[in-house]
Amino acid sequence: MPSFQAGYAPNLGVFLKSLKTQQLESSIENLISLLKRRQIKNSRPCAIATAHLLLRVVAKFRWTDIGKLLERIREVGQRLIEAQPREMVVGNIIRRVLGMIRDEAKEDRNEDVSDSASNSQIGSPQRQHSDLGVAKAAAPPPTFSPLRFASTDASELAETSEDDVFGGRPQTGHRPPLLTSHTSFAVLNGVPVQQSMFNLLSATPSPLATPPGTSSPHGKSAVNAASLAHKIATTSKDLKAEVISGIEEIIDELDQVDDQIAAYAQEHIHSNEVILTHSSSLSVQKFLLKAADKRKFTVIVAESYPNDHEAVHAAVTGKSKANIEGADEMSTEMFVKPLSSAGITVILITDASIFAIMSRVNKVILATHAVIANGGLIASAGARIIAKAAKVHRTPVIVVSGVYKLSPEYPFEFESLIEYGDPGAIVGYQDGALVDNLEVDNPVYDYVPPDLVDLYITNLGAHAPSYLYRIVADHYKIEDINFHNPELQF
Amino acid sequence: TRSQKAVAAPAPVEPKKEDKTVEFFRHLYKPRMTSIAGASKDVHPAVLALGLQMSNYTICGSCARLVATLQAFKRVIESYTTPPGNSLTRHLTSHVLSPQIEYLASCRPLSISMGNAIRWLKLEISKVDINTPDTTAKADLCEAIDVFIRERVTFADQVIASSAAERIKDGDVILTYAKSSIVQKSLVKAHEDGKKFRVIVVDSRPLHEGKHLAAALADLGIEVKYCLINGLSHNIQDATKVLLGAHAMMSNGRLFSRIGTALVAMEANEADKPVLVLCETIKFTERVALDSIVHNEIAPADELIIPGGALENWADMKKLQLCNPMYDVTPAEYIQMIVTESGNVPPTSVPVLHRLGNESQ
Repeated sequence: MPSFQAGYAPNLGVFLKSLKTQQLESSIENLISLLKRRQIKNSRPCAIATAHLLLRVVAKFRWTDIGKLLERIREVGQRLIEAQPREMVVGNIIRRVLGMIRDEAKEDRNEDVSDSASNSQIGSPQRQHSDLGVAKAAAPPPTFSPLRFASTDASELAETSEDDVFGGRPQTGHRPPLLTSHTSFAVLNGVPVQQSMFNLLSATPSPLATPPGTSSPHGKSAVNAASLAHKIATTSKDLKAEVISGIEEIIDELDQVDDQIAAYAQEHIHSNEVILTHSSSLSVQKFLLKAADKRKFTVIVAESYPNDHEAVHAAVTGKSKANIEGADEMSTEMFVKPLSSAGITVILITDASIFAIMSRVNKVILATHAVIANGGLIASAGARIIAKAAKVHRTPVIVVSGVYKLSPEYPFEFESLIEYGDPGAIVGYQDGALVDNLEVDNPVYDYVPPDLVDLYITNLGAHAPSYLYRIVADHYKIEDINFHNPELQF
Repeated sequence: TRSQKAVAAPAPVEPKKEDKTVEFFRHLYKPRMTSIAGASKDVHPAVLALGLQMSNYTICGSCARLVATLQAFKRVIESYTTPPGNSLTRHLTSHVLSPQIEYLASCRPLSISMGNAIRWLKLEISKVDINTPDTTAKADLCEAIDVFIRERVTFADQVIASSAAERIKDGDVILTYAKSSIVQKSLVKAHEDGKKFRVIVVDSRPLHEGKHLAAALADLGIEVKYCLINGLSHNIQDATKVLLGAHAMMSNGRLFSRIGTALVAMEANEADKPVLVLCETIKFTERVALDSIVHNEIAPADELIIPGGALENWADMKKLQLCNPMYDVTPAEYIQMIVTESGNVPPTSVPVLHRLGNESQ
């Protein structure tokens, strides 16, 4: 977990700190009010807060059966979504946790069925995986569910390492929930231990199997009867531990997502290009910085007045966002150097200049607030006219977004997704009479239809907008999509 | 003195000031005069004042600048006496008007309508008979200027306003961008005619001209909604007509207007809303434009600074540039109709009307 500066203003950092000490119920209430008051806002902070809260919910949950846990998370999720329905990423994280729990439970069941049949194959994928994890794989091998990501420190973070959740075993047979797991790794005394008796007998430990530095290759076979007995006693806790580390993986993904996206930057940005971008986004900034390692290009930044211009100005001049009131996103992020210091020419323009300058732009890169399953996106207000201006100039539009922003919801009423901001940002009280006589409109977000987008770049790679529904299907379980309003359940 | 200092203390070498010119617009940068220091002694005081008013946008808008310029030139002509051994026809334009025009252009680039008017004035002066006595010639010229303003601006505006007001029906929602005096006149006219309609004013940084329009309309009791360009795509759906002002109409039918107008026209076109441009024929030009980069005006970048904001010392940031163009070019296909004093025409008729206007002079 990143370290936070202590502060009095309620923000993400303060919330995460309070999680450790507060009662669970008051933590939930706390997050709900923070969301309502927009003291935690924007996709990433909301996602991080939700994931950390769910981690606590699972940890505190008195384990009885999986259905109760799902129900509990649904209930908490429903309250969070009601608090701030327009932060769609809150729902996404909850759905992913629900889906992950379902997967774990299913695997557990299946293991009982297929233990004897498949035990010889169990070892290989998980070893491959743990190896990749050490090598900081950007994406898991295709046999693995994209729900979970390789992460270097998963085994250190988890109380019980459960690398075998990555095993792509055939999921056949439906049986009532059986909460005993026989095949899982556990870290006992810092040594990963394979629990299965079958594995104990059959596994010939390879040097790849053990993460370097944790033990010798022979550590595995040094399982004594005492630890085995202990493990069997605690086996009902395995599922819980697996769920917890599953959530931790989601949190890790949130940490790494920008760097994973940035890894694709050099494929898409070439020398002497002119890139137009809009509003301030860490994802886009990291993406461009990564491309700047190798190439020289020009970035035109539209300032996104009046809702995001302060952040944009701070980003282009390299002033820390921490100085600006209400910008809590940066408090959890490292300071990112401005593009201009990486040798890129940065041209700041007003939003009105977009059409004038578009004829010289090679590519438009947009950040998003949320991505919808149809391939459309919700982004800072003004994004739509940029995408449209790009379309009429035949300029490709690239959207950079973490998969966590991809929402399975398909709203038909797009206006309902749009949030309206403070009209005072447009007509202040110094304008006196105007305040009384005018209706002032300040939308915060725009809906950009999929036909205005040419390409999505996520942490899983580059996709056409028409392919997004497939990624949605990979990430969420059908039964969780409308968990917060079951009457819409298909 | 700088070289002496550098020899004396070589350590704190003053970093060379970085070139903040935006490359696309390099050909358009002109230093803008913001004080009368350095102005030619030949410049008339009325013109001196006008120049400063233009450079700080006190007088802003194509027509307002045109009228103010002609009126200042009237003062110049009134205070003019032909030096002995010269004739007014030969002397006035080259020796008196030229420095005035040069000074005005150094304060802010001349608008296309001003260029048209100045060309007309020069023609008028050249037509003065050499034998006309000074006083008569001056009075004739001043009279001609008055007639010109009356015909080409005042009367034209009335015709356009009533023609545009006719097009506004009860229940209409008129969307407009920034502030155009002729759009304002049309809306006021329609309101006076008893039409019930709403207005949406879209505006943008840094000039916020639309705020003045919104305030003026709201004062009359018209229901006004005000938003910035970020709210454009939300509000375009509510609109029934889009009325736009013009800085100039290009001969290829494109509209040259305040930066952001093209976005409004684009969105209106996308949403199938009719776009009407209100434009006096004095703003027509034989020039053509394909994009907004070849002809434009670049305003000082410092205008984009928000006091107290992070941009205050942007000039110290290496490789950071601010770009503040004044106009953009709207493609002709977004425009359904141009309302002029000579009738309502499609964009393709701009060159025809322009020729007719010039031949009648």
